[in-house]
Amino acid sequence: MSDEDRFVLCMLAPAVAILGVLVAYPVGLLIFDSFFKVDTITPHIREWVGLQNYFDALTSKRVVESALRTVQYTVFALFFEFTFGFCAALLFSALAGQSRWHRTIFALPLMVPPIVAGLLWRFLLVGNIGILNYGLVRLGLISDPEAIAWLSSEDIVIYSVSFADIWLTTSFVALVSYAGLTNIPKDLLEAARIDGANALKRFWHVTLPLMRPVIAVVVIVRGVDAAKTFDLIWIQTQGGPRHASEVFSMNIYQRMVRFGDLGEASASGTLFLIVMMGLAAVAYWKIWRPVHA
Amino acid sequence: MHRAPRLNVSGVLINAAALVLVLSYALPYIYLLMTSIKPAADVQQIPPSFFPAVVSFENFREVLRSSTLPRAFVNSLIVAVLTTALSLSVAVPAAYVATQYRRRITTIFLLFALVTRMVPSVALGVPLFQLLKSLGLLDTIPGLVLAHTSAAVPLALLLMSAFFEGVPKELEEAARMDGCTRFQAFRKIILPVMTGGIAVTALFTFITSWNEFLYALLLTSEATKTAPIVIAEYNSVYGLAWGAMTAAAVLYSLPVIIVTLALQKQIVGGLTFGAVKG
Repeated sequence: MSDEDRFVLCMLAPAVAILGVLVAYPVGLLIFDSFFKVDTITPHIREWVGLQNYFDALTSKRVVESALRTVQYTVFALFFEFTFGFCAALLFSALAGQSRWHRTIFALPLMVPPIVAGLLWRFLLVGNIGILNYGLVRLGLISDPEAIAWLSSEDIVIYSVSFADIWLTTSFVALVSYAGLTNIPKDLLEAARIDGANALKRFWHVTLPLMRPVIAVVVIVRGVDAAKTFDLIWIQTQGGPRHASEVFSMNIYQRMVRFGDLGEASASGTLFLIVMMGLAAVAYWKIWRPVHA
Repeated sequence: MHRAPRLNVSGVLINAAALVLVLSYALPYIYLLMTSIKPAADVQQIPPSFFPAVVSFENFREVLRSSTLPRAFVNSLIVAVLTTALSLSVAVPAAYVATQYRRRITTIFLLFALVTRMVPSVALGVPLFQLLKSLGLLDTIPGLVLAHTSAAVPLALLLMSAFFEGVPKELEEAARMDGCTRFQAFRKIILPVMTGGIAVTALFTFITSWNEFLYALLLTSEATKTAPIVIAEYNSVYGLAWGAMTAAAVLYSLPVIIVTLALQKQIVGGLTFGAVKG
């Protein structure tokens, strides 16, 4: 081993050790536990059940529903975060140098702890004292402040809880998109303008294609984050009413903590991990590789 | 794009639209601030009012006098400081060699760190609970620090790698010409140049730990509850104590917001270069 190799290994070793003990080993443990029936009170007594936990998880109505709800939540939140964020970025780039203050204030939710965002939105939406409905009455959109039960109606609660997520992370989308927009060479847009392309055409044929990688990053990073969401929803509804806002991560938590079923929680956790790794692989091959290679 | 006079109308429209957008995003937090300085009884009045009729610091007095919240703040602070120190001390050297001494093993390592960021905390939380339990570290500060470090190290690695990519290899070579060993070059020449990047990374890892909720919920019970856990309890344990809750939420979030607004330029750079290079 050369002197240089030894140096590299010495510098790398502590981080490898930390990630090994705190990430790789727990992930191994998660997969291992998923094949057993384990009681959390007496975890040393375990019974090999093979794929039974996976079978139980995939045939449980509550688990499957929470998984579908996670997709619903993710798609809904992502759609609005992306639409609002991208429009904001376009506005900021149209304002160019004058947009500094706008961007500063717009970035504010980015620093708000998720738990505070969740509580704040619960406070805005909650029955009787939620100010949002009073605002909607004032605007003439609804007739009485009890007209929409945001957090207690089973039909809409999974969408209502995503408002906090949208508020919290639109600025991330906006700032990343803004950075991408400022990287588009001005002469390209100028050339298109001279060729007679109007603003809409320039946007569609020049801006959008050049923004594709940025859009892909935003969608994947935010999509993975939204699918993992726990705290934001937990703080607003704890998964209620009647599990109507229970997403997948919350379902795993409940089975671990409330029902003490380590084996089944581990099986669901492993499935969750596999799906996320799949998304990570897509992200790597499509996006990061050309940048970091 | 901005020179034709006929664009003035659309210029005004764009300004107005941007203003509306920015205001509507700031309003919820302003409402939180306004609510926290209302007298506790006014917080739950029907219909609610945006501005306080009387300014009162009753809510703040209540949460600061309570037995739980001040202690939870101290816990959060200790955990966040230790997490930041531990994460940076392992991530900074690793990120340095991963970017300056590229080879197969460092590429695999960075890729692993990247993939780690995709792991749902709940999937890691379940086995971490088992691990810490068997080590007797449940409901202890070191236990929570380890859990937070598992999330903070990958973040610090990716941020620091991006910062180190801007450092020319010649810097180390020059130091080695002058008789430094590789370690000395890193410690005496490279690290002092990197203080800005290290500070931003430290702030990010600190905020990650300060904001973290799920591990704290899973791994602490009485002795080491952190601030978000106690704030969340204002909503269940004490009924709906909205007044106290808003005051606690302001105390918990305002310091971070002020620090990050002060360092806005660096922060936004740090947040976006993971996605867009430059």
